[in-house]
Amino acid sequence: MRLRRITLQHFRNVALAELVLDGPRQFFLGANGQGKTNLIEAVGLVTALRSFRTSDARMLIAHGQPEAAVALELEHERLSVTRVVIRLRATGKEVECDGERVTRLGDHLGRFPTVVFSSQDLQLVRGAPATRRRWLDLTLASMDADYFAALQTYHRALAERNSLLKLGRPDDELAAFEPPFASAAATLATKRAAGASELSAHLATAYARVADGAETPGLHHVPDLTAGDAAAWMAALAKNRERDRQWRATVAGPHRDDLELTLDGRAARDFGSEGQQRALMLALRLAQAEFFRVRSGVEPLLLADDMLGELDPVRRGRFWAALGTGRQVLATGTQPPDAEVGAWQQFAVATGGFTPLPV
Amino acid sequence: MSSFEQLQQQLKQLPGLGYRSAERIALHLLVEKPGKLPALVAALEAAAQSVRRCARCGHLAEAELCAICADERREHSVVCVVEQVPDLVAVERAGAYRGAYHVLHGRLSPIHGVGPEQLNLASLLARVAGGDVRELILALGNDVEGEATCHYVTQHLPPGGRVKVSRIGFGLPSGGGVLYADPVTLKSALEARREYV
Repeated sequence: MRLRRITLQHFRNVALAELVLDGPRQFFLGANGQGKTNLIEAVGLVTALRSFRTSDARMLIAHGQPEAAVALELEHERLSVTRVVIRLRATGKEVECDGERVTRLGDHLGRFPTVVFSSQDLQLVRGAPATRRRWLDLTLASMDADYFAALQTYHRALAERNSLLKLGRPDDELAAFEPPFASAAATLATKRAAGASELSAHLATAYARVADGAETPGLHHVPDLTAGDAAAWMAALAKNRERDRQWRATVAGPHRDDLELTLDGRAARDFGSEGQQRALMLALRLAQAEFFRVRSGVEPLLLADDMLGELDPVRRGRFWAALGTGRQVLATGTQPPDAEVGAWQQFAVATGGFTPLPV
Repeated sequence: MSSFEQLQQQLKQLPGLGYRSAERIALHLLVEKPGKLPALVAALEAAAQSVRRCARCGHLAEAELCAICADERREHSVVCVVEQVPDLVAVERAGAYRGAYHVLHGRLSPIHGVGPEQLNLASLLARVAGGDVRELILALGNDVEGEATCHYVTQHLPPGGRVKVSRIGFGLPSGGGVLYADPVTLKSALEARREYV
């Protein structure tokens, strides 16, 4: 898909901005704290109505305003020219697609893929399992309403079961909450394993394009607890009750899963060099973009937030080349982009305002 | 606090009413249509005096038993279990059911402090243990808490399968096509399919 027009209202530090985009490359140039990332964040919302920076949607509303709005005009492979409006209020979010209110998030998921590249991404390689788990959850849920539903059910059932354990309630009450827990856990386990192997194939292709070396990367789902079908999960939960009671929480389950990133079979987190880890973080995002394209049949928008500072000139060149020419890229930076990577439509960003720069 | 403000405060605590609506209702009652007030006060008092829970099923009643439990033409060995009184009213409005009910007044949700003791559950199990119930229809929601409540009930039924238990189906809305159903609903509709020929 192609993004043709962006309108922001009361979104973070942007009071009102309307940008008309021309062509497949846009660059937003400005000093830190001016609102470049806010624009990237606003566009990224369209995929799953989640910000890549915060889980609290209230943070997105300008101080003192009741509502923030993001309107995007897109040229879409399946829906032709489409206008999506996202309204954010303290009480919740609302989406309109071509004037029609979207009442179920399941209908929206999978239609507008975007991928954000950010300097935080190194945490995907080096950080805690929770970071990678969140990334996998968001990647799969953005394309699969069934996964999204299972994830919601799982977290709800987990919270209820943990609450019973905290209160020291009897087995029959635990047993009542275990069936929904078990069927959601079985769905998550199956879909995570399948999703990870699909992503791993895309990762290998992407890594070869951004890395110096010839290492082979791998991405594997590492379940905290392996059970099988829902009945097997029920048995595993019953077996763990004694220990869970002592910890007063559900100790094992999909909420503790990890993703393992490897280079030639060795943990990238421990054995990867600085350069290999950076190449891997870029490849992960490119793999995510390819996964979105294959699953949805729509070319994702690539949103690169201040990636220039992260890379040396050689890697930078490779990074821009790896993004490909078919996909639209919106990038931000404090320095103008390298001349050799082609023509960019440029905007100057200052205190929440966007001014087109002459070509 | 003036008595007007006190009234407004009381109204605001009612479900579904915010500050503005409470003010509007208070003004309506006291200034615009004060003639309506005595009838409303009388109705509130009378209802508070006479309405209680049915001793058998937990539905609203004005005697020991509610109108449904007291109705001899209904099939009392079939019991439809619902979460709330409005759910019962909805099933009644559908007009397709001639059995009895049991209202739980909620569903299990430990995060909200609701356990079996907070629900009208013991009386349901006693009703079943008494031997007068031959079929239970679980008409609870299909979210985590609804499902857990169903499991809790079935766990505590007398062993030996004397009571037939079913759960209402979840699927396409009547008059709705396959095209417009969301994936999750379609999935449960497929799972709940039944033989046709």
